[in-house]
Amino acid sequence: MAGGPKILIVDDEPVVIKSAERVLKSEGYDIEGAGGGREAILKLEKGGYDLVFTDLKMPEVDGLTLIKWIKKTNPHIGIVIITGYPSQDTIRDALELGIIDYVPKPFTPSVLLDVTERAVQWSEGRKPKEDKAGEEFPPAMAAELDRVIGAFRNVPGGLIPVLQRAQEIVGYLPPVVQKRIAKGLNLSEAEVHGVVSFYSFFTMKPRGDHNIRVCLGTACYVKGIEGVLEKIEENLKVGIGETTGDRRFSIEGVRCLGACGLAPVMMIDQETYGALTPAKAIGVIKGFDPSVGGAEVTAAAAQEEG
Amino acid sequence: MPRLTVDDILRTKESHSAGLALKEGGYTAKVTVHMGTCGVAAGANPVMAALRDEMEKAGRKDIFVTTSGCAGLCAREPLITVETINQPPVRYCDMSDQKMRDIFGEHIMSGRAVDKYALVSGTEITDAPVSGQKPGPSVKTDVTGPSEKPAIPSIEDTPFFKYQVLRVLRNKGVIDPESIEDYIARDGYQAVAKALTQMSSEDIVKVVKDSGLRGRGGAGFPTGMKWEFASKVPSEVKYMLCNGDEGDPGAFMDRSVMEADPHSVIEGMIIGAKAIGAHHGYIYVRAEYPLAVKRLQLAIDQATERGLLGKNILGSGFDFELGIYLGAGAFVCGEETALMRSLEGKRGMPRPRPPFPAQKGLWDKPSVLNNVETLAQIAPIILNGAQWYRSLGTEKSSGTKVFALTGAISNVGLVEVPMGIPLRRVIYDIGGGIKKKGRKFKAVQLGGPSGGCIPESHLDTPVTYEDIVATGAIIGSGGMVVMDDANCMVITARFFLDFTADESCGKCPPCRVGTKILLDILTDITAGRGKESDIETLEDLSRDIIATSLCGLGQTAPNPVLTTLRYFKHEYEDHIKHKWCRSGVCRDLATFRIDEKLCKACGACLRACPSKAIVGEKKVPHKIIQELCVHCRTCFDTCKFNSIMILPAGFEGDPNELPGVGAADAGAKKGDA
Repeated sequence: MAGGPKILIVDDEPVVIKSAERVLKSEGYDIEGAGGGREAILKLEKGGYDLVFTDLKMPEVDGLTLIKWIKKTNPHIGIVIITGYPSQDTIRDALELGIIDYVPKPFTPSVLLDVTERAVQWSEGRKPKEDKAGEEFPPAMAAELDRVIGAFRNVPGGLIPVLQRAQEIVGYLPPVVQKRIAKGLNLSEAEVHGVVSFYSFFTMKPRGDHNIRVCLGTACYVKGIEGVLEKIEENLKVGIGETTGDRRFSIEGVRCLGACGLAPVMMIDQETYGALTPAKAIGVIKGFDPSVGGAEVTAAAAQEEG
Repeated sequence: MPRLTVDDILRTKESHSAGLALKEGGYTAKVTVHMGTCGVAAGANPVMAALRDEMEKAGRKDIFVTTSGCAGLCAREPLITVETINQPPVRYCDMSDQKMRDIFGEHIMSGRAVDKYALVSGTEITDAPVSGQKPGPSVKTDVTGPSEKPAIPSIEDTPFFKYQVLRVLRNKGVIDPESIEDYIARDGYQAVAKALTQMSSEDIVKVVKDSGLRGRGGAGFPTGMKWEFASKVPSEVKYMLCNGDEGDPGAFMDRSVMEADPHSVIEGMIIGAKAIGAHHGYIYVRAEYPLAVKRLQLAIDQATERGLLGKNILGSGFDFELGIYLGAGAFVCGEETALMRSLEGKRGMPRPRPPFPAQKGLWDKPSVLNNVETLAQIAPIILNGAQWYRSLGTEKSSGTKVFALTGAISNVGLVEVPMGIPLRRVIYDIGGGIKKKGRKFKAVQLGGPSGGCIPESHLDTPVTYEDIVATGAIIGSGGMVVMDDANCMVITARFFLDFTADESCGKCPPCRVGTKILLDILTDITAGRGKESDIETLEDLSRDIIATSLCGLGQTAPNPVLTTLRYFKHEYEDHIKHKWCRSGVCRDLATFRIDEKLCKACGACLRACPSKAIVGEKKVPHKIIQELCVHCRTCFDTCKFNSIMILPAGFEGDPNELPGVGAADAGAKKGDA
């Protein structure tokens, strides 16, 4: 799903659309507004929406009519109602029509976000995403982390191995993980953070499904890794130390992968790729996600091969 | 798996060697696929799959297939070695699935070596104690097979191999690093048997001291002396540590040793532990080396199972426990006090010495830290004695040194040479000289970010600790990066300062602040903002940083600046005074122009130009439209007729009137300096 879920906000008060837009857009949702039921239907006809947030009391075509129409023509679209008059009756009617949730007016940003997130998950029929927001992680992950902490509690110098395992388990080391480790090992949070920030191996930002480690060592430098890196950054639209919006890839610059014989080199996950050219590097990344780059890249790679 | 005794080691060696010997009725051929990190990345896995497939199809059970670590010639990976009865081994290079199938059909099935794919025949030269060979300098191994065709050059006739003598790398590409029996069959763990049952701690220290072995990690401190200090400090608890953190960009010797011959490191550590009286040890390895970590762990498990690690080793009453500790990526952790702090689970920052780690090291206990390469040399020294070790090298720099030869050179690879060999021999004979046609040698960078760039005029310098230091560089851990004239030395210095400024741990200001200022000045110069006073500032500041920094990182960080200033000052002056980067690397300091007299109007540059800034048609000399040019240098690299001139930034005049040089040098010729 590129660009995040697309949501249509339907309300006769423009200020509601404006404020919902402000809260949700920064979270990566694609937001559009409609001033009433008629406009909403016209927009929905064009397709592409995942969720509809709608007021109930609107002139002309009201909320319940809109919901009925959506359920008939686009049953896959999830519906959330926004209402200032949440009487039990109207809510019950709406629930019977199959809405997901409702937001009382006026709403706070956190309530709106919370409801939106649940609605998105519900409509996609999947479990809550494990790494979302980094403040909570599934109980199984927490148990594994605690087991590791327990195993190293009495080992002198155990902090670095614990952090390494924790990063394997969680994927990165957000504050909540550092706090848990500090508590478990009976260290100050400052000490744990000091070690995390000192070593380049540790990251406080989530990495992508595939971590691209580009070697910036001397041999790779002499053999032109800079051009390769430039091309990768250009194609993934993120720089070193960043993760793509869809969390597919992250790019990391490393000092030397110790494979200078094959310079310039990069590693994706645990695999090493050598003798790179910009086109070859993109070709390799395309192997992980065909949507990277474009026809132009394939042509360039073919030309180089020939 | 039973615990071994001293006799068991000898028995294992005999039986394992006999089992592997090629003979009628037993194995009739042996194929070794070299699978280090480089080999795998270059495509060794499909080669192995093709081999297995062919064997199955042919129904052959008498072929022994094994893997081994890096074979040394990284540029020609994937490599395999094929041995058949009564024939010298043949090494094939640049392997592929199809080539493997061809070689299987021709060489293995029919006994005819495939000349066109072969690299060399014969066994690499080692004078380390290997079964069946008498020790002595440069032992010639048995390469006089009866029917060898001259079509395949022998090891002795191939410069890449001819000038090498393998001691550290004695087992590289020969043994399966995941088999302890393979290691034992090559005299492995005999030195441990000798050291633990026949030698006192003083005996071991004396042999290592007499051998003249110096630490291969960079500083070159005599290993025997280090061990002696630690052995004399009374303490119940001591630590024997191995530095496998290999942080220098451009160096991969330690990775190759750990991947290809992990037991040699463990054996060295057991002997060192006995010498200093330590019962615990750690190998500190970079987490970036997953294969090395895996193989070391396997080797430790195997050695522990067989009673070569743990309690009462070989029944000698000596105990030694060994563990692996994964580094988390900090260059400064190559410094011994910093590495020990890191082992304690803290920020790896160095502390002032004294007290030296030999007195107060890890957890304030006496500790010895040796580099991977140093430890891999211990076993042969114990078995063959100090005099044997001194038979190669010079008085003050004895033995051999492994170098990671990389950069703009033909034979990129891992090489081991006797100390005292001239740099020129390493670069031109072993390395095969500059790879790209038309390019000239410019400098060789030794010692990574702590080292320096050595120019052509100093290539006859013998490779010894003292002679290299005299050039302003250091041997360091052994990274040797060759640069051709397409490289700009100012931006090279900037590259290293960028590295050290980033890796400085921040504890002492001269390093933390000093390297940043050096970096800023160098950045200004490469971006065209250089001032005439910059050169003097760089020199002064460098000296101050060296004099006042706490640890080796700061004390050596200015070396790349000082050496480039020493040998390539004119490049700095060109950058500052004339806004001219003659190699065209610094984009802001170059104007690209086509010399109409040399242009053949072939259209190569026109097609290659990414910003379509070149115009021209057949038989009409091409022209670069300056307004569209992005200074990427693609045309310069593409042109086969040297017709692209690299002129100072914004230069519009006649190249003959360029400051200080004639037109001949105006970048039209590839090769300045």
